[in-house]
Amino acid sequence: MAKILFINPVVREEDDPRHVPYGIALLAAIAMRDGHQVQVYDENAWRKGSEVLEQVFNADHWDVIALGGITTAYGSIKSIVKKARIICPHALIVLGGGVLTSLPREMMGFLPEVDVGVIGEGFITFPDILQKVDAQKADWQNIDGTISRTKNDGLVISSQRALLDELDSLPYPAWDLFPLEEVYFPNSQVLFSEEGMLAQRRLDINASYGCSLVCRYCYHLGIAGDMKYETDHHNELQVSFDQPGNYSRTIRYHSPEYIVGMVKHAHEKYNLDFIGFLDENLMTMDQYSKRTWLKEICRLWIENGLQPACIHDDIEHDENCKGIHWSGTSHATLCNPETLKIMREAGCSHLIYGYESFSPHVMKTIGKGATPKTNMRSFFWTLESGIRPIPNQIIGFPNEDFQAIYENMQAWKKLGIVVKPFFATPYPGSEWFTVYRQWIEEQYEGDLEKYILDLGDATRITAVISHNFNAVELLGLRDLMMNFDYKRIEEYEQYWRKNHNIPDGAPSTIFQAPVNNASQKTGNIRLANGTTGSR
Amino acid sequence: MSNLLKGNFSTKKPVADISNEQETLEQRFEKEALKKLGGSIAFVAKQEVLWGDENTSQDDQ
Repeated sequence: MAKILFINPVVREEDDPRHVPYGIALLAAIAMRDGHQVQVYDENAWRKGSEVLEQVFNADHWDVIALGGITTAYGSIKSIVKKARIICPHALIVLGGGVLTSLPREMMGFLPEVDVGVIGEGFITFPDILQKVDAQKADWQNIDGTISRTKNDGLVISSQRALLDELDSLPYPAWDLFPLEEVYFPNSQVLFSEEGMLAQRRLDINASYGCSLVCRYCYHLGIAGDMKYETDHHNELQVSFDQPGNYSRTIRYHSPEYIVGMVKHAHEKYNLDFIGFLDENLMTMDQYSKRTWLKEICRLWIENGLQPACIHDDIEHDENCKGIHWSGTSHATLCNPETLKIMREAGCSHLIYGYESFSPHVMKTIGKGATPKTNMRSFFWTLESGIRPIPNQIIGFPNEDFQAIYENMQAWKKLGIVVKPFFATPYPGSEWFTVYRQWIEEQYEGDLEKYILDLGDATRITAVISHNFNAVELLGLRDLMMNFDYKRIEEYEQYWRKNHNIPDGAPSTIFQAPVNNASQKTGNIRLANGTTGSR
Repeated sequence: MSNLLKGNFSTKKPVADISNEQETLEQRFEKEALKKLGGSIAFVAKQEVLWGDENTSQDDQ
């Protein structure tokens, strides 16, 4: 059986490692289930440097070196595969995850050391690759969901891999292969709620895959039914994602029994006190299940003795509380007071809401399916249930303007929101990456790789897709917004209007409303030739 | 033998925890200060300092 080395690349280097990589932990469990020999080196957790990494590569004769991650792990992945190729020239290097899926051909070009890429979900594709390794075959093009190299240095994309229907057939993640006691449990704290702040032994789980919504800045990378295979004008197969007016979604979720069974197993094994649900949007699943899914998870949570003692006994939470608190993601329009109350009763401490904006005209363009009114409604419902809403905000949307800035500041003041907004960032795989790609590349001297290396978690500015504001303006405006400095923003608005020949009283924007016709639409977005707006 | 590698078998060679990039106290301080940067939290990144002309030479200290 194949001897596999999984490597978790470094991501968010500026922060401590806080999350066991769920996908790698699942693939490691699948590989072990199938009888393979598996080792994991969690470079993101250990951060021990190049000498240790060299030792890892030299520790055995690896048949497969497998790694993956989100796009922002690209820099680390690049350095790891370079070293891997030199030290382990005969190992098969396999790359998967969002970093590869979003731009398969480009990534295989940037990383010539990679032999096979796994496009989309790897639950079936990766074990199929291992079977070929065992059989000493290398016809990767016969495995669905791969991109591999041809003998004449070309690339071949095989047929699209179907999504796994029976999610409950997945084993539990191989948490044992990650440094829980050494790294992850000491970094359990999540500063989103009192219970999160006091968490001492946290793990994260994924109860569902996908989201029914079509947020223009969001990316799902082939696990949400959002990926399409299309033949281009060179007759080459290309992978594409959301495009204006062209969306597809498949949402899948584990049964409540699987979820609570997994949490109970982890609780008994690791003495957990907190679980973070990594799901894109718990509420979209709940709505799809006709409001039965979360209710049943919560019922089983309590029935299995996982309800936190502080809630059961109605006392203030402290470090000695027994049971498991948990957190997740919600949606302004899809939540309701009844479900929130049930979630709190089962131990939910905080829910992350991508409110993004409190400006009606901005909300209309982002595909969120929410409005400022539903944002506010869900905010109060969540607070009333005893759960802390985490009100994420984004600035720098394509049609962000001074009116939106004032509307957001008014809402923050009214709701007591203390926030440093993210910048709207067109990650590869998102609709806005596809729409604005030419302009994004132009901002990086035409070098896409430079952009990918620059990407972080959107707290720092990278490529700008705002029609009205450039990077410098967005940085300054964000700071002034956080300080509720209306005076300076209004002064700058006058300066901005003068520069753009927009009189007082007219909308403070040079954004043109999107149109339905795709060919017309290109005239309304920021292109390399700068047909609209200013920099 | 360290526990840097975790798996379901023993590797042929051990991996020793001999990080060549062991964090010094200076690095640790600068990393922690960077997390809180702003206002009165400012610091000198010592490795970034450009020593050179006569007025800034270490020999003059």
